[in-house]
Amino acid sequence: MTNKPIILLENVTKSYGTFVVAQDLNMEVRQGEIVALLGKTGAGKSTILNMIMGTQPATSGKVRVIGHDPHAEFAELRGKLAVSFQTDRLLPWRTAVENVELGLLILGMPKNEARERALIWLTRVRLEGVADMYVHELSGGMRQRVSLARALCVNPELVLLDESFSQLDHVTSHTLRVDFANVVREFNKTCLFVTHRIDDALEMADRVIVLAPGAGIALEFAINAENRKDSDWLGQMHERIAEVMGGEED
Amino acid sequence: MAAETEARSMPALLERVFPTIVVVTILIVAMQIGSHYLPPYVMPPPLTILEATIEILTSQYHHIGITALRLLIATVFSVFVGVAMGIVMGMFGKIQPYLRSLVVIDTGVPALSWMLLALFWFSTPELRIFFILSVILVPFYALSIYDAIRALPGDWVDMIETFRPRRSQILRYLILPHIVPPILTTTKSVIGYAIRMAVFAELVASAVGIGSRMSLAQSLFRIDQVLGWTVVLVIANVFLQAAVNVLEKFLLKWRAEVNVR
Repeated sequence: MTNKPIILLENVTKSYGTFVVAQDLNMEVRQGEIVALLGKTGAGKSTILNMIMGTQPATSGKVRVIGHDPHAEFAELRGKLAVSFQTDRLLPWRTAVENVELGLLILGMPKNEARERALIWLTRVRLEGVADMYVHELSGGMRQRVSLARALCVNPELVLLDESFSQLDHVTSHTLRVDFANVVREFNKTCLFVTHRIDDALEMADRVIVLAPGAGIALEFAINAENRKDSDWLGQMHERIAEVMGGEED
Repeated sequence: MAAETEARSMPALLERVFPTIVVVTILIVAMQIGSHYLPPYVMPPPLTILEATIEILTSQYHHIGITALRLLIATVFSVFVGVAMGIVMGMFGKIQPYLRSLVVIDTGVPALSWMLLALFWFSTPELRIFFILSVILVPFYALSIYDAIRALPGDWVDMIETFRPRRSQILRYLILPHIVPPILTTTKSVIGYAIRMAVFAELVASAVGIGSRMSLAQSLFRIDQVLGWTVVLVIANVFLQAAVNVLEKFLLKWRAEVNVR
């Protein structure tokens, strides 16, 4: 982990008419960090993610991703950012491997090279045997793995996850989270993941940020390897987060 | 395993074809009974119609070929132009209202008007028929593709946007594969209509082709030949539908077959 900020939000406010989703939000995600963004429904998690993705501008304040304004300089982040969503969003007419290589082809990589790299990533997410299967032939967990492989395959500096594990059963979700965190740490990626599951955040993140609706950050703390082994500490943090979220969790 | 699949698929095929066989048999029996009570220039017996059909298929097949070729050229042209118009309408918001108005006006003009206008505007029969078929078929494709693009799931657009693609890449990787099913569905829907229009256009604008032969048979009071040509057209429609179904199975192999109980 370095001190280089990959995501920087300074005094960011986002409102829709008179409805304020986020006010004077200050947030930073440094290179190599895995940060969890938690908050109850309407706290503005997805809005913040959309501003970071560049699909929505901030009403006021400064948003920078890898040094660029993601909305005004949309094309500058080509190949530097990848997103995995709550639903897999795989294209049904493409096979598993064709879905994984999609981002690479868009970035202009030659077909053969893209296929080779996509196959490597399918192996990394433990899907060796399903490369030529169509989306409807895959289980929910497999599809989400393909979706993660598609995001990581383009070798992005920043990976954004929008509730990517929340639609899976707890066992599949846990396995996938562990695999994902290992890959992200192994390749020194930066990751911001939005979730409403406190356990997901405590298990994966180096730092947890909890949002309060319309009011910015309500709770923020770091987690190290020792904390993660300390069940009392984890229990206390779980309670504190649940308190801020008003008991809104799966 | 293959034999088992074949054994299972044969009754399934028979199950699909059986209702058609029943309807055709009923029609033949009704025509046979009708031919006993009506004069031959109103209802000839089915055997006479069969003989006329065989005569058509063995000695006048070049007329079938010419109609088929006209139909093929006009349909392929309409697919390309209609799909292009639909894509432009779906992707370029500023042009969309103008193109859409043009298409809506086109669909409001009766086919007969286009046929009469074609007679005035074009001197060669081939151009007339091509024009008539194209102006009738293009709007079907344009509107269907435009609707398909409007119905494109926003989730897919958001997903592909995360890779910051160029517009041409969105077209290549998202829109073109997405519009294959509506192109095939539209083709299946318009085949029968296109055949009818092609024959009708030949009736008024050409001396060769199925339409012109049917006109000739009518003027010679050869109702057996009129019915023979009709049988040929029905068979052609069935074959074309089957051909599109085969194409659909190949192009849409990625789609799961859903059986609704």
